[in-house]
Amino acid sequence: MTKSKLGTIEAIMLVLIIVVTHTISSLPREILVLTKSATIINLIFVSILAILFSYLIVRLMKNFAGSDIIDISEYLGGKVFKNIIGIIFILYFLISSSILLRNFCESIKIIYYPMTNILFILSLFVIAICCVNRLDFNASLKTNLLILPLVLASIIFLFFANMNKFVPQRMFPIFGDGLFNTFVIGLTNLSAFGGIAFLYFLPPYLKQPEKMKKIALISIGISAIYLMLCVATLLFMFSFFINTNEITPLYNATRYIEFGSFFQRLESIFLLIWILAFCCYLSITSKFAMSIFKKLTNIETKKPLIDIFGLLILAITLVPKNYAISDKFETEIYPYLVLGICFGLGISILILANIMKRKQKKIQANSQTIS
Amino acid sequence: MNLKNIFQKLFTYEPPVEYNFSLPEGTQNTESNDNQAVDSVSDTEETINIFPSLNVNLEYMKTKYNLLINSDVILRQFTINARGKQYNAFLVYIDGMVDSEIMDKFVLEPLMLRNKSNLYEGTQSKVISEAVANNITVRKVKKFDLSNYLMGCLMPQNAVKEATDFDTVANGINSGNCALFVDTLSLAFDIEVKGFKQRSVNSPNNEIVIKGPHEAFVENIRTNTSLIRRIVNNENLVIENLEVGKITKTKCAICYMKNITNSDLVNEVKYRLNNLEIDSLLSAGELEQLLVESNALGIPEMISTERPDKTAKYLLKGRVIVIVNGTPYGIIMPAILIDFLTSPEDSNLKVNFANFLRMLRFLAAFITLLLPGLYVAITSFHQEILPTGLLYSILSSRENVPFPIIVEILLMEISFELIREAGLRVPSAIGPTIGIVGALVLGQAAVSAGIVSPILIIIVAMTGIASFAIPDFSFGFHLRYFRFAFVLLGFMAGFLGIALGLFVYISFVCSLRSFGVSYTTPFAPTTESKGNGYLLNPIWKREYRPSYIASKKEKNQAKISMKWKYHKKP
Repeated sequence: MTKSKLGTIEAIMLVLIIVVTHTISSLPREILVLTKSATIINLIFVSILAILFSYLIVRLMKNFAGSDIIDISEYLGGKVFKNIIGIIFILYFLISSSILLRNFCESIKIIYYPMTNILFILSLFVIAICCVNRLDFNASLKTNLLILPLVLASIIFLFFANMNKFVPQRMFPIFGDGLFNTFVIGLTNLSAFGGIAFLYFLPPYLKQPEKMKKIALISIGISAIYLMLCVATLLFMFSFFINTNEITPLYNATRYIEFGSFFQRLESIFLLIWILAFCCYLSITSKFAMSIFKKLTNIETKKPLIDIFGLLILAITLVPKNYAISDKFETEIYPYLVLGICFGLGISILILANIMKRKQKKIQANSQTIS
Repeated sequence: MNLKNIFQKLFTYEPPVEYNFSLPEGTQNTESNDNQAVDSVSDTEETINIFPSLNVNLEYMKTKYNLLINSDVILRQFTINARGKQYNAFLVYIDGMVDSEIMDKFVLEPLMLRNKSNLYEGTQSKVISEAVANNITVRKVKKFDLSNYLMGCLMPQNAVKEATDFDTVANGINSGNCALFVDTLSLAFDIEVKGFKQRSVNSPNNEIVIKGPHEAFVENIRTNTSLIRRIVNNENLVIENLEVGKITKTKCAICYMKNITNSDLVNEVKYRLNNLEIDSLLSAGELEQLLVESNALGIPEMISTERPDKTAKYLLKGRVIVIVNGTPYGIIMPAILIDFLTSPEDSNLKVNFANFLRMLRFLAAFITLLLPGLYVAITSFHQEILPTGLLYSILSSRENVPFPIIVEILLMEISFELIREAGLRVPSAIGPTIGIVGALVLGQAAVSAGIVSPILIIIVAMTGIASFAIPDFSFGFHLRYFRFAFVLLGFMAGFLGIALGLFVYISFVCSLRSFGVSYTTPFAPTTESKGNGYLLNPIWKREYRPSYIASKKEKNQAKISMKWKYHKKP
């Protein structure tokens, strides 16, 4: 991975893939459940906050050019702290991707393979990821670059194809359950921007590190628009009182697309595209987890880790006994995990590291004036 | 494998073998400073110099060429008349590779027969210049030198080289020259008298175009290089010769434009060619496999072409061409995915038609790879995607078929491949018969017998026709091969299987590099659109060479190429 250098578009796509996959799963449903008819307003508010946060992250990382959060945590608290932060991020990537995989596979099972054992579906994903992880990091990035536009196009298509079924009145009352619910409780929706996690690891891999700000702002901006499209499609199409318990709500929306009498049920094509996006996400997160591990342990190559991490993902996906438990994790724990790690822990480390750097600079300046 | 080896394999760490050569993005304006050394692999065999004694040379050549058992190697002993003196000599050549008429008239006749030149009195030295000062004549003379005399007076040949070692002499003889050994001289003359029978330049068989030229490469390397040189018509075209193979010493020509092609790329090609430890190289196909970085998925990473015009087009874009003696194909390197979906016809057509064809070929590649798999997936798992009427017709057509869909499709696809293979191998006269028999027996009869459904015949036929639309044979072959994997994946898990397979496939394709150029360029990684796209710009807008080739010259033509139209008349 150290040899790979990311271009601006690749980096933007990298951040986007997290949002996209979570949206395919159950993210829009969670956002709708929390803020109901005020979702659009809430999303605008949350998006502005996410953009501000990403800007803050870029500003804070500017003082540590070419370093990622692991290097910065080493600077802040030494090797032990670096290891702790590294392990936290590895677990974050592994757990979030595994649980998402479990939920997605459960949805696929319910839709198409009701008689199939979930282990079989999960194994197919894990085998595919293990195969791809043998290739270099660039291969996954390029694949992501090819597949993600398809997914974005599918969502735009979904929005416009269902437009005739939209009931715009569903966005009223515009503040849903009230201002407090929209702007304070609705802050949890900030977890939709989990892609921010990748921003902490991008600087060493960028071809043009000076474009970090552009990457952060554009990626969060596109994520916001993408989320808006998804949520708007669902909000305008379905009554959230009825459809909140549906699995993969976007899939549900695809079932309503029809063009004449020939194209009436196109949902499986959407599913095909989304599976591709999902594989990209899994491959990239597992590669990130492996490269953090490599960084912590100073091993020469990550090749021996590929199967181990694959098995680890499979093992974690099998931890929840059933779909209800894994769904509970995704809806109730995952948002706080994102808020805690991406926004809480990450930004705290950056702020503390910046304070430390400033102090050191002051001490240096003082010692220079004394001498 | 014994137990020890198994344990060693399990527990010994082997560092990954990674070969990382990459071309910088954009134009290479300056010559690379760190030019790689392209010295050939040091030959372990010692070179033996030619001896001054004719008899020793004679014995050596007899042994080297196994003259006692070799029937086509001719050793002709004779006497040379030079300046009235006689010298023993012999010629070595391979019968069938030399032109007998040239040999007789321009080698043996001047050397053996008495004529004005060799009857000249040989005692006096040659006067180079003469000056008279104060009634004293000063003459500058040169002593008689037999080798110079032979070279200058007795060999009316356009290509004669002096060789001092046996290896050079043998190389010449093997390629159709004759070697002249003369007593007292510790050198031999490598005289070009090639004259073997070879195929004349014909029209291409596999890359047919309608509006383009109708010339194809032949087996002879020199003819092929001359075909290219005639098209390029520029002194910057460099054609370097290399020999590959310890035994065959097959001649390979590396062609590139000195002022356009990236020097690092040229060096890399030379480096790889020079570092091939093989005994023989018999075709361009073999060389192609020896030069690729990765053989993953069997995707071609170089373009093989029999068209000199296509070769010249790529040369002028900044690519390197390798021509192997004995093969009527040139290898173009580096090559990226979109190159395999373009045809030499494209640039001869109006841009909208060319782009239409390119889109069609893209669709053809998609159909070849995925259509059978998608059919299996849809009929097995995702029937809802089909309109009810169509679904009924598919189901009714399959009603009499006793096999599951996977058996049905594999049966037809394998039969199709058999027909194709048989059609290629049988003599051309009965080739069409195979097609008719295949179409009738395996199509109509199989449907009537209830072995396969009519809709499946349509799917297989569409896949087959689409595969014929792929301009590159190797790429088409690769797609045909992998469609079987997608059929199995589609049968196993429907769209889930196909999506996972497609993901792995795309990732592998994305991981490929051809001589440092990413295989999926310009889509991933994204590059500037200047001259890089899959679809063609209008001819007046094709100003730039592809940036991923990092050529020395960025521009292909002036910003306003149609000056006759936009030039302001005074």
